[in-house]
Amino acid sequence: MELNGIGLITAAATFSGIWIGHIAVRKIEYLSPTVWIPSSVAILIGVLLEVGAVLSGSLYASAALGIFGITVLWDGMEFWRQEKRVRKGHAPANPRNARHAGILKNHPSSTTINWLDQKPAGRRLSAEEIQEIKEGRR
Amino acid sequence: MNYFGLILGLAALLIIGLGFIWVMRCEYYLGYLWWPYITGAGVLMVIGSLFIPSVWGSALMGIFGASIVWGATELKDQAVRAEIGWYPFNPSKKPKPPFFEAIRKWSGLN
Repeated sequence: MELNGIGLITAAATFSGIWIGHIAVRKIEYLSPTVWIPSSVAILIGVLLEVGAVLSGSLYASAALGIFGITVLWDGMEFWRQEKRVRKGHAPANPRNARHAGILKNHPSSTTINWLDQKPAGRRLSAEEIQEIKEGRR
Repeated sequence: MNYFGLILGLAALLIIGLGFIWVMRCEYYLGYLWWPYITGAGVLMVIGSLFIPSVWGSALMGIFGASIVWGATELKDQAVRAEIGWYPFNPSKKPKPPFFEAIRKWSGLN
């Protein structure tokens, strides 16, 4: 029986697209003085990858470029959503980034704590425990 | 013009979007300690895609499998989000996965 490798390619493109995007959006938004520049760059790269997918004569290359490209386009939007998470305090702000310093000043909900750094406790945390995390005592 | 990759990309978008929903549900009802089984199911789907003769079938199966593997890694973060109150926390007892203790140790707990 002949094996069909296209699923492996689409799986690799999907996983690496999500993985790289997940890390890159968080890191770049944390460090970048603007959101619109990384967002525009991601949209441009995403469009170019989609053009490559449409022009490619190979099913494998078309699949990989098409899937990876869409995840990069999505990242273009995620930069804005990440900034919203920082304002909300759901993602950590970087006090050394002037844009984030402004957020820390103007949005009382923002924080430098990364809430997702902790391990699950297996139960709902009490208000005191949440306060302890906020104050860095936990 | 070859629209294969573009259409697959849009399909991947929908499939990844589904991930947001099932990760929440799965953490709520089962708990994040089921992650090794979810990962295994995703890996099996990717391997299974090798045996599907249809190009579209195999391609979609690969995307599904990979997004399930990714979602499994998200379960732990989702558990923390529910515990600190960003998402509803299920107060009823969660079913223990087989090899519960081993998985707890594996997950870096205890």
